[in-house]
Order: sequence, then structure tokens, then C-alpha cells
Amino acid sequence: MEPTLAELAAKVATLEASGAMKGTIDTEVYYFWATALMVLIHAGFLGYEMGASRAKNVLASGIKNILAFAFIIPTFFFFGWWIYLGFPNGFMPTADGDPGLPWAMAMGPNLSDNATGVFWAAFTLFAATTASIFSGAVIERIKMSGFVILAILLGSAVWILGAAWGWHPTGWLLTDWGYHDFGCAGIVHLIAGAFALGVLINLGPRIGKYNADGTANDLSPHNVPLILIGLMLIIVGFFGFLAACVIMVNGAQWTNIYGQPMTLSSIGFNTLMAFGGGIIGAWAFTRDPFWMMSGGLAGIISAAAGLDFWYPPLAFVIGFAGGATISYVNDFVVKVMKLDDAVGAIAVHGWCGFLGVIVVGLFASGYPNVGEYPPVTFMGQLVGALVCLALGFAPGFVVSYFLKVVRLLRVPDEAQIIGLDLAEVPLRAYPEGESVASRGGAALQPAE
Amino acid sequence: MGSPLTKWEGAAEYFTYADRPMVLYVILGISIALTVLAIIKVGNHEKESYEKLK
Repeated sequence: MEPTLAELAAKVATLEASGAMKGTIDTEVYYFWATALMVLIHAGFLGYEMGASRAKNVLASGIKNILAFAFIIPTFFFFGWWIYLGFPNGFMPTADGDPGLPWAMAMGPNLSDNATGVFWAAFTLFAATTASIFSGAVIERIKMSGFVILAILLGSAVWILGAAWGWHPTGWLLTDWGYHDFGCAGIVHLIAGAFALGVLINLGPRIGKYNADGTANDLSPHNVPLILIGLMLIIVGFFGFLAACVIMVNGAQWTNIYGQPMTLSSIGFNTLMAFGGGIIGAWAFTRDPFWMMSGGLAGIISAAAGLDFWYPPLAFVIGFAGGATISYVNDFVVKVMKLDDAVGAIAVHGWCGFLGVIVVGLFASGYPNVGEYPPVTFMGQLVGALVCLALGFAPGFVVSYFLKVVRLLRVPDEAQIIGLDLAEVPLRAYPEGESVASRGGAALQPAE
Repeated sequence: MGSPLTKWEGAAEYFTYADRPMVLYVILGISIALTVLAIIKVGNHEKESYEKLK
């Protein structure tokens, strides 16, 4: 018997509802696994920072890194998501932030909202990544308590405010200046690098870094292979980060956060090309495995702002430029500015983040934005870069200065000398194979 | 006790105590307090550790 019109209409309605639900679930699945992949960034930074430490400080560096991640999670729930939703226009909150308040109905399991949890989770991992960038620069002499406060400030407040301004569909950097930063070169990396710069000015160097005549000594990492593996893990996690930067649109072309159409395919092309370019550029100019691997990261960061639209060989060239310049920038920071950046965070993230924002203005000027927003311009990118620089530097400098005054910033000299693992943790990382710290010839025991 | 619903038809927010805002505020307050106290404890542990070095 032929189906009636009513029966057919009911079937169509059922199919439409089913299709819509499938799209919703696909979105959840996509961001969920991108978030899981991003946890590898933290496994990577853990290896990277522990490897870069001297043996006597390795566990303290690891604990610091893990605690930053742990404290970012609840604080981003308490106020970080509210900041992102509520501050697109500057420093005054709007009612758009209300769904991000920690008691809002969207901030928990909700059958009418399949998206907030996975978006919140992805942003939380972005936040923790930002704090991890800062944490490497300050290893081996920062107090854990002061560090946790600074990590929360950077990860759950400062960078996310920058994201509300410049990585948001209605943020003022986009609406007024046409700012374009697909992969958060400025919003995450430049802000974190500038924050680290502000803190390092007040924190001071590790004991033994500088001689009386101002020349710098090399405080060698105790485990370079661990650094290399750590950086590779960061690269894997970076793919999750970049995937989460794409906005999945059900049944239509995906877009970036600014609403401009793009493909995941563009990330496939350009991330790999920038990564390869960064490694090759860094190796060509340093022959140093630490800088070679950092160059891979630097390459991606340098191309990050335009990964959605570069011609792939251009991504390679930009990545090469980033990788080739980081060691020189680091030399300037360490030897001329006399700032003891233990892992080159200012060079890799701050400098390459700045470069990444500016090259979009150089090579993609005129790229249209959606609606009435201005197109991409060099001036818009420069304004965005300077805003990120100031937004990162100012709170890093001011709050670390305050922590210094109240003696919450730097560990005492005697703790640095015997090593933070014995002084603070207290545990030995290598009880059978390390060179034992001693004072007056006698081997030291862990504090009770 | 914590369930905000008695049936699933038409359910939206279904997290524990979603229908009791005051309880949500108390739980939120406890979680904030735990976070702050943990930071204070980190600071106290450091202070004690450094005192022993003197």
C-alpha cells in the first residue's frame, strides 16, 4: 500500500532529526579526541622541562609542570570560561559571559547542550598549554607557590582575555582591526612568551648562570634525549591543538574561529611543512639537537596564524625562518638582556609568536573577513601583536614583582645549591646513578 | 538525593543538584576553598623545607 503524505512527512522529520543528532554527536566526538590528544602536549613539556633541568632539580621541575596543569583545570572552570565568553569588547564584562559562570546550567552535563563541555575542555587544554610554555623559562629557582599563582593568572585569566579579544567571533581585535590568528601564534605563544619575560626580570637567574663580568655560563640539561622525546610529544599534541582550532559545522564547510571557510586539509599541508622547515632551519644554523627540535616547534608557531591559508611552500619558508632565528634571539635574551631563560621560551614562543602574527600581515593582507569586519591588514596584525605583547608582559611583571616583595617568588640560595629535589620534594630522582649533592664533603640526606 | 530529575522525558540539565542552586553554591565554594588551601599548603611546605636548610 502506498505511504500517505503524512507518513512520508513523518519519515522526513525523523530523518532530519536523526541527521541533526548525528552532527551533534560528531562535534562532541571530534573535540573530545582533540582534547585527549592535547594532553600529550603536557607529557611533552614534562619530558622537556625535566630533561632541561640539572639532575638535582628534575623532580621539582616535573612536579611544577604537573601542578600547573592540575590547578588550571578548576580555575578555568571557576572563571576562565566566563572571561572568554564575557569580555570580547575589552575590560568590561558583558551578559554574554553568563553561560560561563560556574553555576550556570550549561556548566555541567546537559542533554540540551552537547557542546559546552567539549569546548570548555578544549579551551582548558589551551589554557594549560599556555601555562606550560611559561613554566620552562623559570625552572630551578622559582618557588612552587609563586609559580602556581602565576600559572593560574596566565592560564585562567590573561591569555583567555586575549582570546576573548582576538580569538573570538566578535572580539574587538577582529571587529575593529580584522585580526587573524588561526593557530593562536599571538594569543597563546606571544602572550606566554611576554609573560615569561616579565617574570624573568623579577625572578633573577639561577646561581652560577652569570659570572661577575656578566658573561653567561652553560648550565647543561641533564638529559638531552628526554628533551628531544618531549618535544616530539609536544608536536603530536599540537596536532590536537590545531584540530581544535577548527570550527566543525554540521553539514557545511568547516570554518575557523572568525567564521572564514577553511579545511582540515589545509592544516595537514601547512603544519607538516612548517614543522619540517623549522627543524631544517634550526639545524642549518646551529647543528645543536636541542635547537633543532625546538626549531620544529618554532616552525609551527611561526606559521600558526595563517595555517588555514598558506601556500604550503610558504609555510615551509616561514617555518624555516622561525627555526633559523630562535638561537640568535635566545642569545640576545641570555647574553645581552642577561635574562636566564632556561629553555628558550622567549625565543621559541615569544619571538616566533610575534613573527607568526606579523607574517600574516605581510603575506595575506587583503584577505577578507566575513560580514562587515575589516579585511586582514598589516596594521591590524601589528596592533594585535602589540596588544598580545602588552597583555602578556604587564601582569607577568607586576604580579611577579609583588610576589618578590612578599618573598613568594624565588627559592633561597641554599635550596638552589643543594638542589630543589632534596630541599623541597624531598626525593632523589636517581638514587643509584646520580652525582650526590654534598655540603662540606658529607652526602646530604633528604629533609624529613 | 542529588538527582535533579525523576524521569528522563524532556530532561535538559541532569547533573547532580542542578535543581538546587544553594547546594551548587556550597559545592562550588568547597571546591574553591580546596584550591586556595592547596596553594597555601604548597607555600607552607616550602617555608618549612627552607627553614630546615638554615
